[in-house]
Amino acid sequence: MSELLSMKGITIEFPGVKALDNVDFSLNAGEIHSLLGENGAGKSTLIKCLTGVNHMDEGKIYLEGKEIRPSSPMEAIETGISTVFQEVNLCPNLSVAENIFVGRQPMKHRQINWREINQRAEELMSRFHLDIDVTRPLSYYSTAIQQMTSIARAVDIQAKVLILDEPTSSLDENEVQLLFSVMRELKANGMGIIFITHFLDQIYAVSDRMTILRNGHLVGTYGINELSKVELVTKMVGKDMDVIFNLKRADVKPDSRITLQANHIGDSSHIKDISLTLKEGELLGFAGLLGSGRTETAEMLFGASRIVQGEIILDGTKLNLTKPFDAIKAKIAFCPEDRKRDGIIGDLSIRENIMLAVQSRKGFMKPMTRQEQTDLANKYIALLGIATPDCEKKAGELSGGNQQKVILARWMAAEPEVLILDEPTRGIDIGAKAEIQRLMLEMCGSGVSVIFISSELDEIIRCSNRIVIMRDREKVAEIDGSSCTQQDILKIIAEGAA
Amino acid sequence: MHNRQSLLNRITNPKYIMVYATIGIFLIVYAFGAFMYSDKGFLTIRTFANLFIDNAYYGISAVGMTMVLITGGIDLSVGAVASLTGMFIAYGTTVLGLHPMTCILASLVMGVGLGLLMGWVIHYLNVPAFITTLTGMFFARGVCSLISRESIDIHHPFIDALAGWKIYLMKYANGQWVRIRPIAFINFNVILFVIMIIIGTFILQRTRFGRNIYAIGGNEQSASLMGLPSGRTKILVYGFNGLCSVLAGVSYALYVKSGWNLSLQGGELEVITCAVIGGTLLTGGVGSMIGTLFGVLLKSVIPALITFNGNLLSWWGKIATGLLLLLFICIQRFVVTSAGKRK
Ligand SMILES: Nc1ncnc2c1ncn2[C@@H]1O[C@H](COP(=O)(O)OP(=O)(O)OP(=O)(O)O)[C@@H](O)[C@H]1O
Ligand SMILES: [Mg+2]
Repeated sequence: MSELLSMKGITIEFPGVKALDNVDFSLNAGEIHSLLGENGAGKSTLIKCLTGVNHMDEGKIYLEGKEIRPSSPMEAIETGISTVFQEVNLCPNLSVAENIFVGRQPMKHRQINWREINQRAEELMSRFHLDIDVTRPLSYYSTAIQQMTSIARAVDIQAKVLILDEPTSSLDENEVQLLFSVMRELKANGMGIIFITHFLDQIYAVSDRMTILRNGHLVGTYGINELSKVELVTKMVGKDMDVIFNLKRADVKPDSRITLQANHIGDSSHIKDISLTLKEGELLGFAGLLGSGRTETAEMLFGASRIVQGEIILDGTKLNLTKPFDAIKAKIAFCPEDRKRDGIIGDLSIRENIMLAVQSRKGFMKPMTRQEQTDLANKYIALLGIATPDCEKKAGELSGGNQQKVILARWMAAEPEVLILDEPTRGIDIGAKAEIQRLMLEMCGSGVSVIFISSELDEIIRCSNRIVIMRDREKVAEIDGSSCTQQDILKIIAEGAA
Repeated sequence: MHNRQSLLNRITNPKYIMVYATIGIFLIVYAFGAFMYSDKGFLTIRTFANLFIDNAYYGISAVGMTMVLITGGIDLSVGAVASLTGMFIAYGTTVLGLHPMTCILASLVMGVGLGLLMGWVIHYLNVPAFITTLTGMFFARGVCSLISRESIDIHHPFIDALAGWKIYLMKYANGQWVRIRPIAFINFNVILFVIMIIIGTFILQRTRFGRNIYAIGGNEQSASLMGLPSGRTKILVYGFNGLCSVLAGVSYALYVKSGWNLSLQGGELEVITCAVIGGTLLTGGVGSMIGTLFGVLLKSVIPALITFNGNLLSWWGKIATGLLLLLFICIQRFVVTSAGKRK
């Protein structure tokens, strides 16, 4: 097999961190090569240096034997490198079709040929089994469809090298399989694909080789059959991972008091009738496909979308939630799924990001001293293992997974009574994932009631006391967490009945 | 799949809501005028044509402003640049004895050059558009006053011919073409305005450059990650807006036949108002030329209504425009938040 791309001795330094230190990487034509490492290991940085977003301090890149030095994404695309960046990077105001074709629109009589754009976009999306109206603005659609759109764009560019930086983080199982079949097809045509993900199963399912990074250093490149999963994790994390697989479910006594109760709540658009109860110290899992109404339900409980029917009762008193602030005051915390849109404020420091919820609950009239803030921030940085030199770094400069941890820290610091976590482990490496699960369970242990939304069934089953299963914006079942299997849940999701 | 392309589906696409709002409110206001003052001739074609004649220079400038606003920027220099163009023409023809075309050419070099320069500063030096173009405005105003601090009349056969040139609107009656009554006509300014709207529509809808403008306004960082030339696009947009300012200045000079260093003070805000009530989002990414056309009409129908009433002070016009602006900003907020909601 011929070598398509090779990167030699790449070094990139940011103020305070050496993000990459003398890293080598190589990609063959017709190969799917996974890039692995914990949050902040430098995966995205390596990609960004290849695509001209970041500039390397040292090192050389060769594409088909010729040295290249992309200085902007535009140049990278022209040399044949097409990328899906980690955070969805498209324009929300443009239509789905246009997002796929902007900058390279088919022309007819020196005018943009809209008919062809829409037609080809529709074909492309139907290759991913998505039958949607491609002329609607992108913002109209879910994160999953947005992610598919950016994949469709990158795939259609017909580059020599395709880079996918965590493309699967908001896709469900079917969509992932579709993506894989497309990737295999492209590979058969001789394209080289760099694939980044935190899902180990996915790596084993599609890759030919894998390269592991740790703290900006190269650990090594291995064939897919050379390493077992456990060896792989050990290499990524640098220590044994027994802890991960040793979690204990929260212990809820039958007579524990009920903290949160929702009776037949529904919002103005999709959700009609949801009822649930949550006990003190209990972890309630929400399972279901994307778009099944899990997030909408959580938003109602947090006052982010208004309920038009039913009631929400917290500790025996009926709540009147019209805005998130009411919920924060009632000690309900919500950690949203789309960290870029609803969560992190990139220009504020880590400390300020963590302080936001604490401060808004205490009221802005009672400020905390700087020292208190720093202590609190440092406590959570240590607790969650956020990779940063200090708590004054801008949150926007953290790696994707570490941003997620900062949001989590924000809500944990607010000491809520009910904590709702929407996909808190998305885009988080396996070590940190276990860490977050452990933290959730610890919070349960100290009496907090947790609602945990996740698309990964194994973690739902591992942690939940009870599991609510949603489908088509309805609650279809509620089952006991300790005695069910993935198959049980999948069956209910597929068939829609308990 | 076929019903996707159906007319109904296309019409209900949320990206058109703002344009519908503008056209709808214009029709309501216009119908109100028709109802109240039809006896005074509000409904005549003449009144309608006058809306164009009296506001063409704002409209021409609004074409460029719309593009700037779609990129998420703003340009406060347009009034001053248009005024400077007037000064160039007035001083050039009346004092220096140059041909007006020479003056217009010089203005174009000045206006487009200043626009490109401001675009460059905004993109490469990362200075906020507000500050950069405010500086541009002071600069242009300053040069105006350097040239002359008094109003200079323009007397030149070329200008007189151009300003006096008109097309009468005709109708076919009793086997021959006759001028409609009451007499209605359009002039050079109106035609220039309409042509600029058409050119603007073409750029925005049919060229890659135009689509890049929307992409940048939607999310500039994404646009450059998608490999779009964001710097070049922004610079050219400010350059094009400079061109529009100069043309607006020419059109205003034809309208008033003089140049004055303090003319069109606050004109930039009028132009921005036209674009915003035409459905252009101040945060960028949304806007259209059709919307802007109706924005100009909507903004100009209000003073017309007040004139027809005859008893109201003209300041009521300002108040009504302010309310209209407020209304549109509220609609925009609503549209943006509801479009941002996931399905
Ligand atoms: N623009 C920047 N300025 C300063 N530091 C940065 C910047 N971008 C990245 N870093 C730092 O470089 C390191 C590597 O980040 P990178 O985004 O490459 O991690 P990653 O491996 O992609 O992690 P994740 O799995 O969380 O996405 C991190 O410590 C991060 O804080
Ligand atoms: Mg990353």
